[in-house]
Amino acid sequence: MKRNRRHRRKANAEVNLGFQIAPMIDVVFVILLFFIVQASDIQVENAHVTKLPGTVELKEGIVTPDEIAVRIEDDGQVYLNDDPLDTPEAKLLPEFASNLNQLRESSDASKSEVLVTIYANDLARYERVVDVLDALSRAKISNVSFQAGSSE
Amino acid sequence: MAGGGGGGDGEPEFQIAPMIDVLLVLLVFFVMITSAEVLKVDKNIVLPVSPNAKAREPEMAKHEMAVNVRFDAKSNKGILVVDDREYNNWPDVVPILQESHKRDDKLRIVVRGDAAVPAGEIQRIMNLIGEAGIADIAFASSNK
Repeated sequence: MKRNRRHRRKANAEVNLGFQIAPMIDVVFVILLFFIVQASDIQVENAHVTKLPGTVELKEGIVTPDEIAVRIEDDGQVYLNDDPLDTPEAKLLPEFASNLNQLRESSDASKSEVLVTIYANDLARYERVVDVLDALSRAKISNVSFQAGSSE
Repeated sequence: MAGGGGGGDGEPEFQIAPMIDVLLVLLVFFVMITSAEVLKVDKNIVLPVSPNAKAREPEMAKHEMAVNVRFDAKSNKGILVVDDREYNNWPDVVPILQESHKRDDKLRIVVRGDAAVPAGEIQRIMNLIGEAGIADIAFASSNK
């Protein structure tokens, strides 16, 4: 009898210690699902790279660029060389971007460079400055500089 | 040709080992993309949305230093945070930036400003970065 019990206990232990594939797959599926759901909500951080004015080394024989002044008012109104474009609510700034695109194309045709200087009012939201930078990226203008105070 | 191995009688059999391989690869993929992107975002800052901003250059990642400008709605001003430390007196950050610039010539300052911060506050930090002799800066934004 004793030998029989021992044998049964040993057999049970062998069964329980075996690697269970089904629960492992369950767990892996749950973890996978968690990461898939989380991945769909990911915020990717991008950047607008620029150089600060006055610190960039100048190469000799540089072509004088066509300077464009962009002013951002406190209410978010954007002015391109003193002409108001788009409404303060327009996040994508379509008029502004198309005007910039035309300016860039005409500068390309005359083989000169476009330099945009942004004059943002102190109380204008930073978000609006980034909207302008976004429109500049769309117009493929990378020569951007900043200026404190008003353009006048 | 009978459905990928298994019994010799031609019946297709469910193979558990390759399925686990695929599952683990998928799992590692999702773990990698979530951990790589989520860690960079400071939850106290709502970055401005800019779908056309460039993706961060991987080769510049080790040369980047973040300067966070949180928004204080009460005073309508920015709160400067560098390396998890808040600075009440903003010019204190100049020697830290200079020190970092000495260590790394290619240093790029990533300005991570809250969307609601007044542009004047960003101008202030840009002036300080300029004072520290650093020309290469980037404005962080979110894709959505």
